[in-house]
Amino acid sequence: MIHKILESRVYSLSILLVLAALITSVIFPSTFPTFENFSQILLNLSVDTIVAVGMMLLLISGAFDLSVGSVLAFTGCLTAYLMHFFGFPVPLALTIGLLGAFMIGWVNGYLIAYQNINPMIQTLAMMGIVRGCALMVSGSGIQNLPYWFNAIGQSKLLGIQMPIWYMLATVGCFTFLTSKTIFFRRYYYIGSNERAADLSGIQVKKMKMVAFIISAMLAGLSGILLSSRLGAALPTMGRGLELRVITAVILGGATLTGGYGKIPGAFLGALFMGLVSNIMVIARVSGYWQEIILGLILIATLWLDKYLQKKYSEIG
Amino acid sequence: MLRFYIICTSLLLLLAGCELPPKNQISAGLTTHKTNDSVGVANEEYVMVTTAVTMPMYVNHDQAAFKRWGEARKVKVSILGPADWDVPAQINTIEEVIGTKPTGLLINGTDPAIAQVINKAVAAGIPTVVYDSDIPGSNRHAFLGTDWYEIGKMQGEEIVKLTGGKGKIAYMGILGLVNMEQGFEGLLNVLKKYPEIEVVGKYDDKANVEEAARITSDILSAHPDIAGICGFDSNSGPGIALAVKEAGKAGKIKITTVDWEPEHLQLVKEGVIQMLAGQKRELFTWYGAQFLYDMVHRTNPLAQNDAEAGITSVPYNINTGLLKITSENVDQFINR
Repeated sequence: MIHKILESRVYSLSILLVLAALITSVIFPSTFPTFENFSQILLNLSVDTIVAVGMMLLLISGAFDLSVGSVLAFTGCLTAYLMHFFGFPVPLALTIGLLGAFMIGWVNGYLIAYQNINPMIQTLAMMGIVRGCALMVSGSGIQNLPYWFNAIGQSKLLGIQMPIWYMLATVGCFTFLTSKTIFFRRYYYIGSNERAADLSGIQVKKMKMVAFIISAMLAGLSGILLSSRLGAALPTMGRGLELRVITAVILGGATLTGGYGKIPGAFLGALFMGLVSNIMVIARVSGYWQEIILGLILIATLWLDKYLQKKYSEIG
Repeated sequence: MLRFYIICTSLLLLLAGCELPPKNQISAGLTTHKTNDSVGVANEEYVMVTTAVTMPMYVNHDQAAFKRWGEARKVKVSILGPADWDVPAQINTIEEVIGTKPTGLLINGTDPAIAQVINKAVAAGIPTVVYDSDIPGSNRHAFLGTDWYEIGKMQGEEIVKLTGGKGKIAYMGILGLVNMEQGFEGLLNVLKKYPEIEVVGKYDDKANVEEAARITSDILSAHPDIAGICGFDSNSGPGIALAVKEAGKAGKIKITTVDWEPEHLQLVKEGVIQMLAGQKRELFTWYGAQFLYDMVHRTNPLAQNDAEAGITSVPYNINTGLLKITSENVDQFINR
């Protein structure tokens, strides 16, 4: 058991989360350990987690995408624009919005995988282009969206708001795919040694493109969910999301060099960041300190993890 | 067959557990205190939630006045929100604060998208006041702020006066923000009355001094005969002024902008900026907090139960007005 904890970030992070929750429950017994507060934490991190799942897949394959925040904003704004100004039915607008995200992912993937453009430069450029498109489409934002569109993100199932269910479904689905299917397990091989994967017959370029498409589609889905939850599409949505998500994913066990990470790790990383933010709000920690404390906690957590792994290798 | 029944029953149970969002939220009765003293109850906590919580303009004006108010009333005040301009994160913070049941909520009206969460706070019985920009469609109890359209209009009228109603004009701010777009509209509605004025561009300076300076340099290269530039966010003015000074055209190119931080005032004093359209931000949060206090303490009871009577016992809508700062009165603000 101790070996498992030391070996995997998923286990060590889970224990850290439980400890943090227990301590906070003792300090703030009336405000922290409530169903409403836990629902709120999960709701607030649902969008980040869905994007983090796509980012985890990319980091496993050894790449990352800086345009996810802009794709989120663009998809939400495009969908809202079609419904609000052209009266498109909700399902059709959703389809076109997601198709837009698909196209962005395809362009990113094609240029990176087939034209060997550096992922950081490509997705950084795409981040600006897509953010500009979101601004053009929505101006200062689009309000008064159709009731049935808002229902996607504001309805509840068994007392829990829908974005939490979508997040759990996404995490569950991709956990299964990356652990049980040959196609998705190949990403670990690509991330560990791209050349060896290529020589062994894996279609590395095609798979990389698919990973960028999945990442963009999940960002697009998150944009739709966020717009629906807010009842408005804002061109400023998702600003800074890319760094938040990459931090959560690395905290969850991925590395920038590729080959490592598990989808539940992405969820736990996002949950950890969401929990820390929630504790700081409940403890009324001033906004000036929040960023500093979050940064210090992240460094401490990663250092602790490295220390435990070193101990594990010494024991093992 | 059994499997079919199990699946159908599960689906029906799930559907039974499904709850659509309400079309309208109903306001709950407010939590009030019976004391009517001028000094608050020690366990009262008034929370301000904004976005870009570290922005100097917010820190020096809004938050400073809110803290002073808390000290004067001897109640706890807390200031929360994301460090960057992130409206969804502000909404998340408000949602989390509602769960902790503060005495009153003072919310920066950053975007109409926060209407739903304001309604949630009101429905939870928390006195809620919005400041800076109003949020249409929200059930907030009171609003204090300025009309951004008027800020644009004031800048338009001044730049027309400064340029003699002719020449090329450019303007910049944060594109996509509702209040700023309203300001742009106010400016353009004034300028379009003057056929000899040509608007050469609308630019996004991303609330960044360096970006505003870079854009201004580009404008000066493309239009050496530019007559005036208007800025709409706190960093527009210093950025525009920097580029104009470096080009050696200080005073020749007329500049109007918003806000009155020390660097803005100094640039007016130096004659680089000709006019500042300032907001009375201290009044937003001081009186906003006081409104919350008065609601909680029923300072002026107008009905047995305000919520049931469908009223609020504080002013519903306050326009605090604008400050026009020029070289003639700038010393008054520097030496305040």
